[in-house]
Amino acid sequence: MIPLSLPRRIAAFLLRYAISISPRDTLDWGHAMLAELDHVQGNWAALLWSLGSAGVLVKHALLSLIFPSRNGPTIPSGGNLFSKEDSMRKPALAITAVCVVASLLFFVAPVFRQAFRVSLFQWQFLLHTDRSRMNPELESILQKAERDHDAEALAFVALRHTQSSESARLADEAVRLDPKLIWVYAIVAVRWPFVPEIDHWVPALERFDPQNALPHLITAEKIDGDQVLRANVTHRAEDRPPSWQSAMAAAFESAKLDTYSGQRKELDRRVLSRYHAGDPELIAGDVCFYGLPSYGFSDSYRYAKLVLVTAQVLETQGDTSAAAEKYLAIAHFGKLLGPDFSARFMQTQQAYTRLAALTAKSSRPAEAAFYSFLADQERQAMEQASYSRCRRFGPNQVARWDADSARRSGAVMLLSGALLFATLFAVFLRSRSLRLNLLRPGRLAIALAASSSVA
Amino acid sequence: MSPQTLRVLERFAERPTAWCYGYELSRETGLKSGTLYPILMRLAKFSLLETKWISTEDGVPPRHIYRLTLNGMKLAREKQTISRTGVCVRRAALSGGKA
Repeated sequence: MIPLSLPRRIAAFLLRYAISISPRDTLDWGHAMLAELDHVQGNWAALLWSLGSAGVLVKHALLSLIFPSRNGPTIPSGGNLFSKEDSMRKPALAITAVCVVASLLFFVAPVFRQAFRVSLFQWQFLLHTDRSRMNPELESILQKAERDHDAEALAFVALRHTQSSESARLADEAVRLDPKLIWVYAIVAVRWPFVPEIDHWVPALERFDPQNALPHLITAEKIDGDQVLRANVTHRAEDRPPSWQSAMAAAFESAKLDTYSGQRKELDRRVLSRYHAGDPELIAGDVCFYGLPSYGFSDSYRYAKLVLVTAQVLETQGDTSAAAEKYLAIAHFGKLLGPDFSARFMQTQQAYTRLAALTAKSSRPAEAAFYSFLADQERQAMEQASYSRCRRFGPNQVARWDADSARRSGAVMLLSGALLFATLFAVFLRSRSLRLNLLRPGRLAIALAASSSVA
Repeated sequence: MSPQTLRVLERFAERPTAWCYGYELSRETGLKSGTLYPILMRLAKFSLLETKWISTEDGVPPRHIYRLTLNGMKLAREKQTISRTGVCVRRAALSGGKA
């Protein structure tokens, strides 16, 4: 007899487990393999022996599960030295059933379903789950809204729907029912920049809010998108089509840039309270939504660079007032972008610096000092924003702890679910029956099922 | 019949009356347990192999031992003859019919 080392113990455990799930007519063969294991020379050779033997037994177990008729004595045995244990004992069956039912009962509680979804949300990218599937609570709001012709609720769903065509249809329907909700077009157009409805939405938005730069930025983005689709992307602003340049010029001349986030928040609040919706995913909405079109900032950045170059040309030609107007237009638009973007819009600082130089040359020292002060302020704001960005991605202990907890609880739930299903599968495999009274879970299976259910 | 099964039959045919252990067969035929046991199970299923449990010494689990039945022996001899004839024919073909 060879003393038991770790590989040999693993080998014996593996083979014993394979025997426990093997069909009755292969039991003797399983025990024959196990008996030979004691005589195999070399620990790793023993492990290989066990792996090969276990493979044979598992194959037979699977075959007998798939083809129950194979349960009969197909392989003659050299004796009946070993027999299987009796069918599942009642307490074991009760424990397993209680654990499974208890874990499933958690799903009855809406709070648990909500927490479950939030925890799994972190693993959505890894699991490649169907992200186009709509939130069930949102679906129920949509059904009620369509039945009751509730314009605000339709707009609420339009802002969150996972399909562009449906989102556009709902936005159109909401505005048809309540024309005051026309601003919804802007948010849906920013979210889905390539829906064909944009062609009639933008003129409507321009009429609704003529001072707003947003419809022009949406138009510019649509032109960008068309260029991408035609594989005709130009990186220099001066090479962009005239329609893009005129849309950006209109945006720079606009008096304001309203992304309608205030209206959106008000609408969300009203609809959520009216429909008693409590799903955090619905409440949070698009956490990454800044209101501007995806290309809005880069379009503005490129156009500002173009304007800056044009102004410098005018300056060299001696047309200082036209140059100053261009610089002021850039600075004005930089301010319209708001705190999220203006700190990254470095053309504002450049415009103020040029204005300071221009006014200094024109012997207007007070104005020059003022513009220098503004340029300095812009520079400080940019440095501050850069520092804040570093801190935002740096160690924020509370946020990190929250995210880690959610991620870990999601992982634990997924693993526990997988373990529970694996255990149940193993129990069915071992019992070779789907009938409860014939199930024969071992102590390990019961322990695993119970612990995974509790987890 | 697979070459592995032929190898097992050949091994049994060498010592027709002797009982052998699974591990012994595995070492002598060079077959792994995952290959050897399905062959043994099949042979036993068709009553070509006789199996028996024996206790070797106290405290040591009994071992399964095997030997061919009469039918098994007949089959092994047939296969051996065919195999030898095949080898002779191949040798003859390779040496231009002088074998």
